[in-house]
Amino acid sequence: MLRYLLIRTVQTIIAVLAVATLIFLGLQMTGDPMENLAPQDMSEAQVEELRKAYGLDKPIHVQYVRFMEKLLEGNLGISFLSGEPALKLILERFPTTLNLVLVSMLIAVFFGLPMGVAAAIRADSWVDRTLRFLSVLGISAPTFWIGVMLILIFAVNLGWLPSSGLSSWKHYIMPAFTLSLYRIALFLRMVRSTMLDVLNQDFIRTARAKGLMERVVVYKHALRNALIPFITVAGLQFGALMAGAVVTEKIFAIPGMNRLALDALYSDDRPVIIAFIIVTAVLFAVVNLVVDLLYALIDPRVRYA
Amino acid sequence: MKRYWILAAFLLSLAFAAGDKLVIAYQGGAVTLDPHMRNETTTLAWQHHIFETPFFYNPQGKVVPVLAESIKNVDPNTWIMKIRKGVKFHDGSTMTAADVAFSIMRAATHPKSQMKAYVGKVSNVKIIDDYTVEIDTKVPDPLLPAHLDHAAIIPKAYFDKVGEEGFGKHPIGTGPYKFVEWLNADHLTLVRFEDYWGTKPDFKNVVLKNIPQGATRVAGLLSGEIDIAEKVLPQDFARVERSGRATVKQTPGVRVIYVAMDYWRKYGSEGLPAGAENPFLNPEARKAVYMAINEEAIVKKIMGGAATVAPQFLAKVHEGYSPNIHRFPYDPKAARKILEDLGYGDKDGDGWLELPTKDGKRVPFELRIDAPNDRYLNDAQIAQAIASMLRDIGIKASVNAVPKKVFFPNMTKGHFTLYMAGWGSMDSINTMFSMFHSKDPEGLYGRFNREHYHNPKVDALIEKAAQTFDAGQRNDLLVQAMDIAMPVDVAYVPLHYENVIAGVAKGVDFTPRPDEYLHAFEAKKK
Repeated sequence: MLRYLLIRTVQTIIAVLAVATLIFLGLQMTGDPMENLAPQDMSEAQVEELRKAYGLDKPIHVQYVRFMEKLLEGNLGISFLSGEPALKLILERFPTTLNLVLVSMLIAVFFGLPMGVAAAIRADSWVDRTLRFLSVLGISAPTFWIGVMLILIFAVNLGWLPSSGLSSWKHYIMPAFTLSLYRIALFLRMVRSTMLDVLNQDFIRTARAKGLMERVVVYKHALRNALIPFITVAGLQFGALMAGAVVTEKIFAIPGMNRLALDALYSDDRPVIIAFIIVTAVLFAVVNLVVDLLYALIDPRVRYA
Repeated sequence: MKRYWILAAFLLSLAFAAGDKLVIAYQGGAVTLDPHMRNETTTLAWQHHIFETPFFYNPQGKVVPVLAESIKNVDPNTWIMKIRKGVKFHDGSTMTAADVAFSIMRAATHPKSQMKAYVGKVSNVKIIDDYTVEIDTKVPDPLLPAHLDHAAIIPKAYFDKVGEEGFGKHPIGTGPYKFVEWLNADHLTLVRFEDYWGTKPDFKNVVLKNIPQGATRVAGLLSGEIDIAEKVLPQDFARVERSGRATVKQTPGVRVIYVAMDYWRKYGSEGLPAGAENPFLNPEARKAVYMAINEEAIVKKIMGGAATVAPQFLAKVHEGYSPNIHRFPYDPKAARKILEDLGYGDKDGDGWLELPTKDGKRVPFELRIDAPNDRYLNDAQIAQAIASMLRDIGIKASVNAVPKKVFFPNMTKGHFTLYMAGWGSMDSINTMFSMFHSKDPEGLYGRFNREHYHNPKVDALIEKAAQTFDAGQRNDLLVQAMDIAMPVDVAYVPLHYENVIAGVAKGVDFTPRPDEYLHAFEAKKK
């Protein structure tokens, strides 16, 4: 087990270095950062002075070597705009995004999983059809539209909920629901189809034949088997939300790391962009590891040795 | 009984506290609180609450002394500046010449300072006595007082103690508000500085917020969470007014939206068909484009009234605004006639004007209009409208609207034939040098003159104005330059000035400034 963890850690470090190299080179192709960094009224000589101060006057390979050296020391550079360490800026906002995503995922699992089971055990009943219909709505409604509609209804017209920020539990309701809607629908459909698969297998028939209660058959035997693909998808969705809640963070003016990264992208604050992507890469690696470990917990056949 | 009194007192204090708090929602947020490191409107607007400068523009566009008392020009490169007495920093220390000298030099020489476009000409600041400094410049700068609007004064002793990083974390200035707490680019909490030297602002507690989405800013305004919302979009005007909780305030801004045309390539201009002659080298052809554009309609239909028709490149508050320049009339028939007379007429009878090519053929007058789609209010729609107006006079125009991140680098590289962009600066000399002066090999002038407009007479007038210390004479020279560049040369086609727009809650009295800075200390209780 320890060996397994060690291998995974080494793999993650290699992946992060590869990602860092790719993003560093990719950013070089987006043009001259001074276009966005330097104020438009500076003279060309002043722009060059600024370029030098940011260390952007050196040839690319020199910049790359210095960047990698610093990266190995755990230093992701100083934000061009704020003058603060880029990693600090990202980590400062990491908990905000994490809280929001955790709440959204909890809501999604809380509703999506039981609804999926309910739809599967009553396949083709009116319950199933209604849920499936609603799930199509949930999957296809754009986040942007849901967010703005919620604000219009609950903040402007009813005045029940605050429209921006994330400073109390009330602030969480609208953005978390906006983010979870799609996931509820996704989990519902996933769990329904895998449950149907499992429910048709021989061991379920055997379980029923030996006289087990339907509840035990469904929850202990069928659901447990249906959970493996569900956990994979849930893990990926968690990662995707952590690095992809941009629209929601923007609409609700939530100071999360996605919005920071978006602003950095617009203003070509490269150290912040790189820090964001590296944090995201590490996060994905950790989530995947947790998912793999959960497999072993749920399915005793899975072993990491 | 006593308990009720405490409760009543508590409720009363809550009521007062609520009335004492002002929340402003901006479209962006300050990325740093170090006042010399980022020259960008929202960052500076947030910083202006904490820091002040020797001089600043008042809302009418005039330069007025703030932390300076007066300034005198001794010889072209030397100024004597008297400093206001009795000004306190937020830590209680008194502002003296040492702080002023240190701050101006930092803005002028720090490697990462973004204020060099303004104070980069300063070579030295000498302390004469506690309240007098001598400012030396490398080259004469008649606009130095105005340029000192970007030199925020910070306390030297405190800065030396806490260092650059510490200062950014807890900045101290002389401004009407003290720093309380902030999250980079998200919000800044401030409290009124009770020892402020000037008129104390009405609101005790202020929160400046970054709410990037227009719809969310309006929602906050209507639900009462926000008192002033920056950049309310025209489509929300009616909703705000109808709500009875807020109103929309507009001021014509200094940012002009304009159309520029390729002034330098006879062949090979990239927005025209391959090999076609570039008609826009001729000022008459540029005038035809000007006359084909129905700007009144753009302001009314596309901008929803959130803009003001621009007769010229500079705005009324600017030095060098010429009373002699008026818009060419909107006249599509005359516009087409001009192009026909120049030899671009429709010979094959398909309705489109034609351009001769290098090898003597004629091709349809196709034209790609380039524009950003995320930089100016309704930018892509304006470009579309211009395209359809040009099609009306027989130019087969299409629009290529792209994100600013793609647009501006391409603009710099000169990939455009006819494009739409915007320009806003309070400093007319800077505008003239950047946009109207011909490009020079050293890259000092004409930095944003991408279309290579050049007229030696205009160049000479601009250079002379930049050396003129008398404000009246300087204004005359700039007006003379503009009177040539706009109506005679048609260097640019001005479209409109973007209005500066703010949604203001009913209990607050506030009018936006033309230079787009939004300040809590300019808001009054009603």
